[in-house]
Amino acid sequence: MLRASHKYQRETTRQSWPLLVFSVGGRRLAVKTFDVSGISLWNESIPVAGRTPFVTGLVRQGQTVLPVFDLAASLRLTVQGSSPLCLTIRHPLGEMAMCIDEEIPVLHTCDPATIQTYQNKDLPAEGSYTNGLDEIPILSVSRLGSTV
Amino acid sequence: MGIREPMETPSPASPSRFLIVTLGGRYLALDTESICGLLTFEEAGNDEDPMIHGIMYGAINLADRLSLPNDRGGANTRIVLLSKREMRGSIRVTTVEGLLELSPSQVLPLPMQFCGPERHWYQGMILFAKSIALVLNATWVLNEEGPAKRAGGTW
Repeated sequence: MLRASHKYQRETTRQSWPLLVFSVGGRRLAVKTFDVSGISLWNESIPVAGRTPFVTGLVRQGQTVLPVFDLAASLRLTVQGSSPLCLTIRHPLGEMAMCIDEEIPVLHTCDPATIQTYQNKDLPAEGSYTNGLDEIPILSVSRLGSTV
Repeated sequence: MGIREPMETPSPASPSRFLIVTLGGRYLALDTESICGLLTFEEAGNDEDPMIHGIMYGAINLADRLSLPNDRGGANTRIVLLSKREMRGSIRVTTVEGLLELSPSQVLPLPMQFCGPERHWYQGMILFAKSIALVLNATWVLNEEGPAKRAGGTW
Protein backbone atom coordinates (compact mmCIF):
# COMPACT_ATOMS: atom_id res chain seq x y z
CA MET A 1 0.00 0.00 0.00
CA LEU A 2 3.00 2.25 -0.53
CA ARG A 3 4.53 3.92 -3.50
CA ALA A 4 8.08 5.18 -3.55
CA SER A 5 8.78 8.82 -4.25
CA HIS A 6 11.40 9.64 -6.83
CA LYS A 7 13.86 10.59 -4.14
CA TYR A 8 13.47 7.21 -2.44
CA GLN A 9 14.54 5.45 -5.60
CA ARG A 10 17.95 7.03 -5.34
CA GLU A 11 20.59 5.19 -3.43
CA THR A 12 20.24 6.07 0.21
CA THR A 13 23.15 6.97 2.37
CA ARG A 14 23.82 5.23 5.64
CA GLN A 15 22.93 8.34 7.63
CA SER A 16 19.65 9.16 5.90
CA TRP A 17 16.28 9.04 7.60
CA PRO A 18 13.75 6.80 5.87
CA LEU A 19 10.35 8.39 6.35
CA LEU A 20 6.77 7.59 5.58
CA VAL A 21 4.85 10.65 4.46
CA PHE A 22 1.09 10.59 4.92
CA SER A 23 -1.80 13.00 5.17
CA VAL A 24 -4.31 13.81 7.87
CA GLY A 25 -7.06 16.26 6.97
CA GLY A 26 -5.04 17.15 3.88
CA ARG A 27 -1.99 18.06 5.96
CA ARG A 28 1.26 16.27 5.19
CA LEU A 29 3.08 14.64 8.07
CA ALA A 30 5.99 12.23 8.27
CA VAL A 31 7.00 9.44 10.56
CA LYS A 32 10.17 7.35 10.62
CA THR A 33 9.54 4.05 8.87
CA PHE A 34 11.09 2.31 11.88
CA ASP A 35 8.14 3.57 13.93
CA VAL A 36 5.57 2.12 11.50
CA SER A 37 4.38 -1.44 11.89
CA GLY A 38 1.65 -1.47 9.28
CA ILE A 39 -0.85 0.24 7.05
CA SER A 40 -4.27 -1.20 6.33
CA LEU A 41 -7.78 -0.13 5.61
CA TRP A 42 -9.42 1.60 8.53
CA ASN A 43 -11.90 -0.48 10.50
CA GLU A 44 -14.49 1.43 12.43
CA SER A 45 -13.19 2.40 15.84
CA ILE A 46 -14.96 1.18 18.97
CA PRO A 47 -15.30 4.23 21.21
CA VAL A 48 -14.10 3.94 24.78
CA ALA A 49 -15.43 6.29 27.43
CA GLY A 50 -12.36 7.71 29.11
CA ARG A 51 -10.42 10.84 29.91
CA THR A 52 -7.06 10.29 28.21
CA PRO A 53 -6.76 13.07 25.65
CA PHE A 54 -7.14 11.83 22.08
CA VAL A 55 -6.92 8.14 23.04
CA THR A 56 -10.54 7.66 22.15
CA GLY A 57 -11.19 4.08 21.22
CA LEU A 58 -10.06 0.67 20.14
CA VAL A 59 -9.78 -1.08 16.82
CA ARG A 60 -10.03 -4.80 16.53
CA GLN A 61 -7.86 -6.54 13.98
CA GLY A 62 -8.81 -10.20 14.30
CA GLN A 63 -7.72 -11.28 17.77
CA THR A 64 -5.64 -8.15 18.24
CA VAL A 65 -6.97 -4.99 19.85
CA LEU A 66 -5.18 -1.68 19.40
CA PRO A 67 -5.79 1.64 21.10
CA VAL A 68 -6.65 4.51 18.79
CA PHE A 69 -4.90 7.85 18.91
CA ASP A 70 -7.09 10.46 17.24
CA LEU A 71 -4.35 12.41 15.48
CA ALA A 72 -6.86 14.33 13.34
CA ALA A 73 -8.71 15.60 16.42
CA SER A 74 -5.44 16.55 18.12
CA LEU A 75 -4.69 18.73 15.08
CA ARG A 76 -8.30 19.97 14.86
CA LEU A 77 -8.64 18.40 11.44
CA THR A 78 -11.00 15.87 9.90
CA VAL A 79 -9.74 12.80 8.09
CA GLN A 80 -10.39 13.07 4.37
CA GLY A 81 -11.76 10.44 2.00
CA SER A 82 -14.37 7.76 2.09
CA SER A 83 -11.84 4.95 2.55
CA PRO A 84 -9.42 6.15 5.22
CA LEU A 85 -6.36 4.15 6.15
CA CYS A 86 -5.10 2.79 9.44
CA LEU A 87 -1.50 3.65 10.26
CA THR A 88 -0.19 1.37 13.00
CA ILE A 89 2.75 2.78 14.88
CA ARG A 90 5.21 1.34 17.38
CA HIS A 91 4.57 3.30 20.53
CA PRO A 92 6.71 2.57 23.60
CA LEU A 93 3.57 1.40 25.45
CA GLY A 94 2.52 -0.88 22.59
CA GLU A 95 1.24 -0.60 19.06
CA MET A 96 -1.28 2.14 18.43
CA ALA A 97 -3.58 2.86 15.51
CA MET A 98 -4.25 6.19 13.85
CA CYS A 99 -6.79 7.02 11.18
CA ILE A 100 -5.23 8.86 8.25
CA ASP A 101 -6.46 10.17 4.90
CA GLU A 102 -7.13 7.72 2.11
CA GLU A 103 -4.29 9.23 0.10
CA ILE A 104 -1.63 6.55 -0.27
CA PRO A 105 1.42 7.31 1.89
CA VAL A 106 4.79 7.64 0.19
CA LEU A 107 8.27 6.69 1.25
CA HIS A 108 10.80 9.48 1.41
CA THR A 109 14.43 9.55 2.41
CA CYS A 110 15.57 12.62 4.22
CA ASP A 111 19.10 13.90 4.58
CA PRO A 112 19.58 14.59 8.30
CA ALA A 113 21.38 17.80 7.40
CA THR A 114 18.12 19.18 6.05
CA ILE A 115 16.13 18.45 9.20
CA GLN A 116 15.31 21.53 11.20
CA THR A 117 13.68 22.20 14.54
CA TYR A 118 9.92 22.18 14.31
CA GLN A 119 8.79 25.39 15.93
CA ASN A 120 5.04 24.80 16.18
CA LYS A 121 3.67 23.24 19.33
CA ASP A 122 0.68 21.54 17.71
CA LEU A 123 2.25 18.08 17.74
CA PRO A 124 5.30 16.36 19.18
CA ALA A 125 7.95 16.33 16.47
CA GLU A 126 11.52 15.16 16.08
CA GLY A 127 12.02 17.97 13.60
CA SER A 128 10.78 18.89 10.18
CA TYR A 129 11.95 19.17 6.62
CA THR A 130 10.80 21.33 3.77
CA ASN A 131 9.29 20.09 0.58
CA GLY A 132 8.73 23.01 -1.74
CA LEU A 133 6.77 25.51 0.29
CA ASP A 134 5.59 22.91 2.81
CA GLU A 135 7.18 22.29 6.15
CA ILE A 136 6.57 18.65 6.97
CA PRO A 137 6.87 17.73 10.65
CA ILE A 138 8.33 14.36 11.58
CA LEU A 139 6.16 12.87 14.32
CA SER A 140 7.79 11.87 17.56
CA VAL A 141 5.86 8.66 18.08
CA SER A 142 7.17 8.06 21.59
CA ARG A 143 5.67 11.38 22.77
CA LEU A 144 2.26 10.91 21.18
CA GLY A 145 -0.42 10.85 23.81
CA SER A 146 1.78 12.40 26.46
CA THR A 147 2.60 15.91 25.37
CA VAL A 148 0.01 16.93 22.79
CA MET B 1 -35.30 -13.02 36.60
CA GLY B 2 -33.96 -14.14 39.93
CA ILE B 3 -32.39 -12.58 42.93
CA ARG B 4 -29.48 -14.29 44.56
CA GLU B 5 -26.57 -13.72 46.83
CA PRO B 6 -23.23 -12.85 45.21
CA MET B 7 -21.27 -15.91 44.11
CA GLU B 8 -18.37 -17.35 46.05
CA THR B 9 -15.02 -15.99 45.00
CA PRO B 10 -13.52 -18.46 42.51
CA SER B 11 -9.94 -19.67 42.67
CA PRO B 12 -7.52 -17.73 40.47
CA ALA B 13 -7.34 -20.49 37.87
CA SER B 14 -11.06 -21.00 37.49
CA PRO B 15 -12.99 -19.39 34.66
CA SER B 16 -14.99 -16.26 35.30
CA ARG B 17 -18.47 -15.57 34.04
CA PHE B 18 -19.44 -12.26 32.55
CA LEU B 19 -22.80 -10.79 31.73
CA ILE B 20 -22.55 -8.90 28.44
CA VAL B 21 -24.84 -5.89 28.19
CA THR B 22 -25.17 -2.84 26.00
CA LEU B 23 -25.40 0.76 27.12
CA GLY B 24 -25.24 3.81 24.91
CA GLY B 25 -24.39 1.62 21.94
CA ARG B 26 -21.36 0.02 23.64
CA TYR B 27 -20.78 -3.49 24.85
CA LEU B 28 -19.98 -3.71 28.53
CA ALA B 29 -19.21 -6.79 30.63
CA LEU B 30 -20.01 -7.35 34.28
CA ASP B 31 -18.37 -10.07 36.33
CA THR B 32 -21.23 -12.20 37.64
CA GLU B 33 -19.53 -12.28 41.04
CA SER B 34 -20.95 -8.84 41.66
CA ILE B 35 -24.40 -9.45 40.16
CA CYS B 36 -27.26 -10.11 42.57
CA GLY B 37 -30.10 -10.09 40.10
CA LEU B 38 -31.54 -9.06 36.80
CA LEU B 39 -34.95 -7.43 36.62
CA THR B 40 -37.31 -6.04 34.06
CA PHE B 41 -38.69 -2.56 34.66
CA GLU B 42 -41.92 -4.10 35.87
CA GLU B 43 -40.14 -6.45 38.24
CA ALA B 44 -38.16 -3.53 39.61
CA GLY B 45 -41.49 -1.89 40.38
CA ASN B 46 -40.67 1.07 38.17
CA ASP B 47 -39.08 2.55 41.26
CA GLU B 48 -36.09 4.78 41.20
CA ASP B 49 -34.33 2.62 43.75
CA PRO B 50 -35.39 -1.03 43.53
CA MET B 51 -36.15 -2.61 46.89
CA ILE B 52 -35.68 -6.39 46.83
CA HIS B 53 -36.29 -8.54 49.91
CA GLY B 54 -36.07 -5.41 52.02
CA ILE B 55 -32.72 -4.39 50.58
CA MET B 56 -32.47 -1.20 48.56
CA TYR B 57 -30.33 -1.12 45.45
CA GLY B 58 -29.82 2.59 44.81
CA ALA B 59 -30.03 3.61 41.18
CA ILE B 60 -26.71 4.56 39.60
CA ASN B 61 -26.70 6.49 36.35
CA LEU B 62 -23.93 4.57 34.66
CA ALA B 63 -24.51 6.30 31.32
CA ASP B 64 -23.80 9.66 32.94
CA ARG B 65 -20.75 8.35 34.74
CA LEU B 66 -19.34 7.00 31.49
CA SER B 67 -20.53 10.03 29.48
CA LEU B 68 -22.60 7.76 27.27
CA PRO B 69 -25.97 8.62 25.72
CA ASN B 70 -28.85 7.85 28.04
CA ASP B 71 -30.85 5.32 26.02
CA ARG B 72 -34.58 5.53 26.35
CA GLY B 73 -36.05 2.59 28.15
CA GLY B 74 -37.27 -0.07 25.74
CA ALA B 75 -38.76 -3.52 25.96
CA ASN B 76 -35.28 -5.01 26.38
CA THR B 77 -34.21 -2.65 29.13
CA ARG B 78 -33.04 -4.47 32.23
CA ILE B 79 -32.07 -3.47 35.72
CA VAL B 80 -28.91 -5.16 36.98
CA LEU B 81 -28.58 -5.41 40.75
CA LEU B 82 -24.99 -5.18 41.93
CA SER B 83 -23.27 -5.89 45.19
CA LYS B 84 -19.64 -5.74 46.17
CA ARG B 85 -18.44 -5.97 49.73
CA GLU B 86 -20.87 -3.76 51.64
CA MET B 87 -21.89 -1.69 48.61
CA ARG B 88 -25.09 -2.21 46.65
CA GLY B 89 -26.62 -0.49 43.68
CA SER B 90 -28.48 -0.98 40.45
CA ILE B 91 -27.80 0.07 36.89
CA ARG B 92 -30.07 0.26 33.89
CA VAL B 93 -28.80 -1.32 30.69
CA THR B 94 -30.26 -1.17 27.21
CA THR B 95 -30.02 -4.87 26.44
CA VAL B 96 -28.62 -8.04 27.92
CA GLU B 97 -26.65 -9.91 25.28
CA GLY B 98 -25.78 -13.04 27.20
CA LEU B 99 -23.42 -14.78 29.54
CA LEU B 100 -19.81 -15.68 28.74
CA GLU B 101 -17.53 -18.01 30.63
CA LEU B 102 -13.92 -17.13 30.06
CA SER B 103 -10.54 -18.12 31.38
CA PRO B 104 -8.50 -15.30 32.94
CA SER B 105 -6.24 -15.19 29.87
CA GLN B 106 -9.23 -14.30 27.70
CA VAL B 107 -9.72 -11.07 29.58
CA LEU B 108 -7.30 -8.69 27.92
CA PRO B 109 -5.75 -5.77 29.78
CA LEU B 110 -6.73 -2.26 28.79
CA PRO B 111 -3.90 -0.87 26.63
CA MET B 112 -1.45 1.23 28.63
CA GLN B 113 -2.08 4.23 26.39
CA PHE B 114 -5.29 4.71 28.34
CA CYS B 115 -3.66 6.45 31.27
CA GLY B 116 -6.51 8.47 32.79
CA PRO B 117 -9.03 7.56 35.46
CA GLU B 118 -10.61 5.10 33.04
CA ARG B 119 -7.96 2.62 34.13
CA HIS B 120 -9.99 2.36 37.32
CA TRP B 121 -13.32 2.17 35.48
CA TYR B 122 -12.47 -0.93 33.46
CA GLN B 123 -10.86 -4.18 34.53
CA GLY B 124 -10.06 -5.26 31.00
CA MET B 125 -11.57 -6.11 27.65
CA ILE B 126 -13.26 -9.15 26.12
CA LEU B 127 -13.47 -9.98 22.45
CA PHE B 128 -17.20 -10.24 21.82
CA ALA B 129 -18.91 -10.88 18.50
CA LYS B 130 -16.94 -8.70 16.06
CA SER B 131 -16.46 -6.06 18.69
CA ILE B 132 -15.06 -5.58 22.18
CA ALA B 133 -16.80 -5.52 25.54
CA LEU B 134 -15.14 -3.48 28.28
CA VAL B 135 -15.23 -5.16 31.68
CA LEU B 136 -16.62 -2.75 34.24
CA ASN B 137 -15.01 -2.47 37.65
CA ALA B 138 -18.00 -3.03 39.93
CA THR B 139 -16.17 -1.41 42.84
CA TRP B 140 -15.90 1.80 40.86
CA VAL B 141 -19.51 1.58 39.70
CA LEU B 142 -20.71 1.19 43.28
CA ASN B 143 -18.23 3.51 44.90
CA GLU B 144 -20.05 6.09 47.01
CA GLU B 145 -17.22 8.53 46.51
CA GLY B 146 -17.55 8.44 42.74
CA PRO B 147 -17.97 11.80 41.06
CA ALA B 148 -21.56 11.21 40.06
CA LYS B 149 -22.90 8.10 41.70
CA ARG B 150 -26.38 9.44 41.70
CA ALA B 151 -27.47 11.75 38.95
CA GLY B 152 -30.47 13.63 40.21
CA GLY B 153 -32.19 10.44 41.24
CA THR B 154 -32.74 9.39 37.67
CA TRP B 155 -31.44 6.29 35.90
